Amino acid sequence: MSHGSGGRGGPDAPEHRRNRTARLRDRIERHALAGLTVATVAVLAVVFYYPVGTVLVESVVVDGAVTLGVFVDLLRDPFYFGELARLFAGESPLTVARALVDPDRRLGIVGFTAYQAALSTVASVALGLPAAYLLARFEFPGRRTLRSLTIVPFVLPSIMVAVGFVATFGRNGTLNALLAAVGLGPVELMFSLEAIVIAHAFYNAPLVARVTTAAWESVDAGAVETARSLGAGPLRSFLDVVAPQVYPAVLMGAALTFVFTFGTFPIVLALGGFELATVEVFVYRLARDLNYAEAAALAVVELVISLAVLGAYLRYEARHTVTSRGVRPLPRRPLVPSAPTAGALLARLGLGVYGVVAALVFLAPIASMVLASVTGGDGTLTLDHYRFLVERQRTGAAFQVRPWPAIRNSLVFAAASALVALPMGVVVAVVTTRRYRGRKLVDAVAMAPFAVSGILVGLGLLRGLVFGVEVAGWRIAVAGSAAIVAAHAVAGYPFVVRTVAPGLESLDRSLIESARALGASRARVLGDVELPLVWPGVVAGAAFAVAISMGEFTATVVLATGADAYTMPVAIERFIGRRLGPATAMGCVLLVVTGLSFVVIERLGGEYDGI
Amino acid sequence: MTHDATETDRSADRHTRRRFLALGGAAGVAGLAGCSAERTADDGENDGDGSDGDGSEDGGSDGDGGAGDDGESETPTLTVATYGAFIDAPSVSPGEWLKEEFESRVDAELEWATPDNEVNYYVERAASGASIDADLYVGLTAEDLVRVDEEVDDDLFASAGEVEGSDAVREGLRFDPFERAVPFDTGYVSLVYDGTETEAPETFEGLLAEEHRGDLIAQNPGGSSTGRAFMLHTVARFGDGGVAGDGEAVEGDDGDPDYDYLDYWAELQDNDVRVLGSWDDAYTSWSEGEAPIVVSYSTDQVFADMEGANLEEHQIRFLNDQAYATPEGMAVFADADEPDLAREFMSFMLEPDVQGEIAQRNVAFPATDTAELPDDYAELAQEPAEPVTFTYDQLQGSLDGWISEWERQFAGN
Repeated sequence: MSHGSGGRGGPDAPEHRRNRTARLRDRIERHALAGLTVATVAVLAVVFYYPVGTVLVESVVVDGAVTLGVFVDLLRDPFYFGELARLFAGESPLTVARALVDPDRRLGIVGFTAYQAALSTVASVALGLPAAYLLARFEFPGRRTLRSLTIVPFVLPSIMVAVGFVATFGRNGTLNALLAAVGLGPVELMFSLEAIVIAHAFYNAPLVARVTTAAWESVDAGAVETARSLGAGPLRSFLDVVAPQVYPAVLMGAALTFVFTFGTFPIVLALGGFELATVEVFVYRLARDLNYAEAAALAVVELVISLAVLGAYLRYEARHTVTSRGVRPLPRRPLVPSAPTAGALLARLGLGVYGVVAALVFLAPIASMVLASVTGGDGTLTLDHYRFLVERQRTGAAFQVRPWPAIRNSLVFAAASALVALPMGVVVAVVTTRRYRGRKLVDAVAMAPFAVSGILVGLGLLRGLVFGVEVAGWRIAVAGSAAIVAAHAVAGYPFVVRTVAPGLESLDRSLIESARALGASRARVLGDVELPLVWPGVVAGAAFAVAISMGEFTATVVLATGADAYTMPVAIERFIGRRLGPATAMGCVLLVVTGLSFVVIERLGGEYDGI
Repeated sequence: MTHDATETDRSADRHTRRRFLALGGAAGVAGLAGCSAERTADDGENDGDGSDGDGSEDGGSDGDGGAGDDGESETPTLTVATYGAFIDAPSVSPGEWLKEEFESRVDAELEWATPDNEVNYYVERAASGASIDADLYVGLTAEDLVRVDEEVDDDLFASAGEVEGSDAVREGLRFDPFERAVPFDTGYVSLVYDGTETEAPETFEGLLAEEHRGDLIAQNPGGSSTGRAFMLHTVARFGDGGVAGDGEAVEGDDGDPDYDYLDYWAELQDNDVRVLGSWDDAYTSWSEGEAPIVVSYSTDQVFADMEGANLEEHQIRFLNDQAYATPEGMAVFADADEPDLAREFMSFMLEPDVQGEIAQRNVAFPATDTAELPDDYAELAQEPAEPVTFTYDQLQGSLDGWISEWERQFAGN
């Protein structure tokens, strides 16, 4: 670390060589960060911005001419923008405002999409926070495993979730059986806004829970103790010390949930129906019918709204970080209290009620999926569907999708893409937490992979990578495993940024400045000082990157064309037939493999606390 | 946890962390290795329109596919593009049998290609100037052709020309007026219902009855082929009320010029029809008992029988004794490397025994009237008295409008 000391020392040859390698390492270290930044920008440009650009540009270039006509038509169309379309069409804001408060107002597809996303966000936060409280503040056997498994819903293909939901909330589902057992009438939940909102919470509440848990666990116990010793009650110290450090994480979870549910697609039509169609449904249809100008324009609208929400959150995050220096986490309480007080009992009662709700929303659909995988056509229990997987593995033709290569590819791609996403995410986190004008804009743009329509990303990858570009008489194309890993890394790295950046932002700058003053390179400060302090965020980001890769479908099928590079979600899709047995069996394989992976990642990553 | 313990943890962490970052760099390098570069050599043929001299000279020097042409006469490879389920479905699919059979009859190797975007993938390839890389497409519909012809300026497909056996294709199934696509099988989209729960109505109007409130699950016409077929069937039945704009209005079989398919759908929506995204969504919900009637294929009992399910729960209903026919065709790409072999494959597909195998393995109906099918096939796979389908000419210029008007009415919020 202390370079400069002894470079021109003795004539001793080995000593000299050691110095030279040390200098070389030093030089690499000095440029490591810049090099990684360039590499990150390059990967993003090749695997994301350029391909997506080739599609989005179609919204403004129609038949070779630049035009805003497509946008103008779109904005003035009440089908998409409801009453707001009249504003874009030139009506007075007053008339439009009056129309908006009218009970018969039209939201339009865009308005409805935002509305259901807002509801889904509220539901996800409501279901995620109690889980964070449980995981961050209580000690019980299996806590770490449970925390690792919370990410599992994230990877489930929508068709599996649909199967689980119909079996749980349907007319003949588990919920109605339970209600009937206690003498309550049946509820009709399917094909309603409620069904969609619950399904969105199924996917996103775990996200809220994870980011909030991580933030809660890094609250410094010392600060709380100080507050208490100064006379603050438990509530006061919670509100003044704990809450301000947890809010940003909750808001981050909320902002991401909004963005993800704003771009929701297959699950809406599977559980809701076409009356509840969202913007992405139309992006899909228009792209499928090769109407790219309108599809791209709609996707740009989606992108602008999503980035605006993310941008608003990022501004908040920048203003509300609490500076901290090295923390000792709050001690966890046992779930079974040693000395029961009224307050302690009340908290646990609340958690008990939450447990029942969580079991219904998260466990029951997964359990239904597992049950479907062992139920035959005649309703009896059977292992036939798993036998099908074994059979397909043994006798499937070379051009057919087989289970083992799918499992192997999924694991390899997930590991590789996490290894690419981590440095990318850390670099972007570092770059966007430095102080300069417009850094939040950079940050928002770096989040774009979350906000661009998945359908158009797939189309862009097809055009930009699989077909390639012509350069001087050569067609350069990128496809197969390497491209899949890169695409997965791009899809997952924003998570790393979001889980690492808040920590970096809150670090005491003097720590970094002292290390730099002592001669450490920027990369070394990052590696030896900053990252260890935000390690929980790094591990959380890695877990998300793995989850994204394991669940990714669109980019994988596009880039795996003609190659043996299919993954588990692709196999599930292929195995869907009249009966869902084979697909659900493969779904359970996905469930087990990903569940185990997350447990392993978080064991390898180390326990969060203690930093 | 004590401070000392955390200290060791931290140093262990640091090592893992560095390894993570180093490995990340390595993976990045590996990523670059995924690039491929190939000479764009087709300038020699198409340099007539506009490209400057430089380019044509560059490409002209080595001929297209030169590597494959020169040298000994190897077994030629026929690349057949199709949709995934044609070669790889959990129950049965014709792909494997067709490959083996074709290779045993013809000295050629058959390679399947199943891009996820199906025909659109080749439309995109053509638009990007990339080579097509396939000889023919199996599984084209009339709607596909209409869309392709509207969006692609040059010809994506070549005329079928002389295909032995194509005379045997049934008249009502030929959907391509330009004779590029040759039909090889057909399905019929009908209602499938659980006979233990309800008795499906015999007419479209019957679905509007109070007793069938909330009974029907259909699919999104914009995203699912069964959903599209069912919507087209309602257009054929009730007329389109001239919503498509250009071209003349379609008059419905119902004989009422003031009542069109949108009016029917408005009433169907009032009667709580469920329109889900895909056939999978709809069939899953139907199987779980969310509603007793679903829009599906008239071959449903073939699958039900295979699985040993109760056939009473898998009844077929042809509304007004009709069903919408969805013939599938095959066509040679204009850019095919092996056009003759591709046409040989097309005649192979139309041979009586192959027709029978395709029908059974794709769980559909043969396109020819000479197909050899087991006698009992018709017991489970039912055909309507009167197949209904729109021709290419009727769909052209109208299909888009029919779908978007339907969307605007159904999802208007």
